[in-house]
Amino acid sequence: MQVALKIWRYDPIAGERALKEYEVSAPEEATLLDVLDIVKDQVDGSLAYRKSCRMMICGSCGMRMDGAAVLACKTRMYDIAQAGQIPVISAMGNLPVVKDLVVDMEPFWGKIRAVTPWLEPGYSDPGETEHVVSQERMDVIHKESLCIMCGCCVSECNSMEADPDFLGPAALAKGMRFVGDPRDQATVERLQSYSGEHGIWDCTRCYFCQERCPKGVDPRDAIAKLGAEAMSAGIDSDMGAKHAQWFVTSAKTTGWLRETELVPKTQGIAKSLKEVKFAMGLLRRGKVPPPFPPHVAKDVDEARALYDLVKEQGREGYEGIVQGEKALEHLELESESDGAGPRDPYGEGSFAVPYLPGENGDEEAE
Amino acid sequence: MKQVAYYKGCLASLSAKELDISTQALAPKVGLELVELERVTCCGAGDIHEAEPDYYLHLNARILAYAEATGSDTLMTVCNVCTLNLRQANHQLQGDAALLERVNANLVSVGAPPYSGGVEVLHFLWLVSAGDGFDLLKDAAHKGLKGLKIAPFYGCQILRPSKLLGFEDPDRPQSLERIIEACGGEAIDYPAKIKCCGFPIIQAREDVALAELIQPIEQAKEAGADAMVTPCPLCHLSLDAWQSKLREQTGKDFQMPVLHLSQLIGVAAGLDDSELKFKRHLVSLDPVVDKLAV
Repeated sequence: MQVALKIWRYDPIAGERALKEYEVSAPEEATLLDVLDIVKDQVDGSLAYRKSCRMMICGSCGMRMDGAAVLACKTRMYDIAQAGQIPVISAMGNLPVVKDLVVDMEPFWGKIRAVTPWLEPGYSDPGETEHVVSQERMDVIHKESLCIMCGCCVSECNSMEADPDFLGPAALAKGMRFVGDPRDQATVERLQSYSGEHGIWDCTRCYFCQERCPKGVDPRDAIAKLGAEAMSAGIDSDMGAKHAQWFVTSAKTTGWLRETELVPKTQGIAKSLKEVKFAMGLLRRGKVPPPFPPHVAKDVDEARALYDLVKEQGREGYEGIVQGEKALEHLELESESDGAGPRDPYGEGSFAVPYLPGENGDEEAE
Repeated sequence: MKQVAYYKGCLASLSAKELDISTQALAPKVGLELVELERVTCCGAGDIHEAEPDYYLHLNARILAYAEATGSDTLMTVCNVCTLNLRQANHQLQGDAALLERVNANLVSVGAPPYSGGVEVLHFLWLVSAGDGFDLLKDAAHKGLKGLKIAPFYGCQILRPSKLLGFEDPDRPQSLERIIEACGGEAIDYPAKIKCCGFPIIQAREDVALAELIQPIEQAKEAGADAMVTPCPLCHLSLDAWQSKLREQTGKDFQMPVLHLSQLIGVAAGLDDSELKFKRHLVSLDPVVDKLAV
């Protein structure tokens, strides 16, 4: 088949960026990585990209196709070529570009190192035997253990775009991999450290990480597990934790969120007093519901009783999230077997244009 | 008429009443008979899911159970966050008989009905952007939008994670564009339309949230939008109310009007002022109203 690509080239010596178009002949089963290999071999040997295993294990070939981070070796080109599409290939986001499709992974590794990515056992030497961890306990960190550290989740992390110091989805998922490991004895220290300024509560829940991860790690869920575990351990002084706690308090008392009290409950009285002018603007438009009398849901005692019951049953912290994963695994399998083409509820069968500005090849390709 | 159980969620009940009022006024015109759920609570946003995940599952199971008790096969939401929370809980309960059994035992013991797994959670956007709903919308939107340039803003939790939401391609959604065009407006394209508005962390990490929020507003402005439209009241609140904070922080005064989806369709369908409630917005909609009056 003939495959055409546009590639954002970057020459670090001249500091110049250019979108170049290539067309090559490739076997029908070719992946994006295979096509790049053909381009490099037959058209332009100076094209730079990372690769190693070619089989979705090493995590080297993360890059963007039409603005979305993918593993080049996992991305088949047949449907795209058949549809006559010319995808735009560029380097991953949120990391500095070294050359062409190669990014500097050092900021990524720095964050991985910051979560202490090794076991802190603190247990006695097992002697001649070994520590046996039950399958049930390993299931807790099954997904987090799948990470190949390719950086696809980090590439599109919206919080990291806004706060480059955010630990981010890969590092926090790695943190959960150790928090959930029964052999690790540093859980409290870890949760305190991950709950800091650029940690758990920086996550804006955009779910790009979950969408992009090629291995099913579900980093956003890992971050939620850390949040639940931190709060269950009483590590809840961050404003993010207080914000979350107020939703729980609201649900079990009045049923509905008590919106007006959310600001002082999150930020504290002193800080929220600075918001008076802003709040007055909202008040004039009816956006500040009066806290008294509260808006109470009908039969709210059911919600209160459910809270007590759930607490008694003690599925604390991450257990509450892990228990739902088995059912969601089905969905993963179903969506992978449904043809993987773009969803098309309108029956028009067309590929729409890519979404990133300047990445979409509107400019004349050379 | 398609009967749906209507879950309006926290914001549309109180601070975003204009969303509820315009949705209720519009529903019959697009073939929807809303059965409002009364005994329900907050879905917990992402917050209870993160603070007390087992409680999150039970609260959502209870909402689903009451929706099922109305006899409807569809639970209609008008908020992205409610949509993700309810769909996630629904998939967990439908896909795990043991989990459903335990949750149901708890529901019954507090006096709530059990849930049998027979409800599908659908956002209002999905009900009117395809199929019969879309055909009815095209007829209902007879007044048009006189070519107004509208920037669609999807927000996150109606697109991602797509395995839970799954209505359309999460990177190339078309539902809002289809509706804008069907209503006689011109859909503006800009990259941040599928990105985050920052709302979940706007109180705990305001600077980070504002750095996210500015992207869609600034891009929509640069692309020449007369207004933005969003299917989520949380996105609406940050886009509309927090614009003044962007002005303070950056000196940029965008004055970008932001419509709820039901208001956008409502304008084209000829709803009156008392049903649209534009006066409840922080950024004035007068420029939009003036253009439509010409």
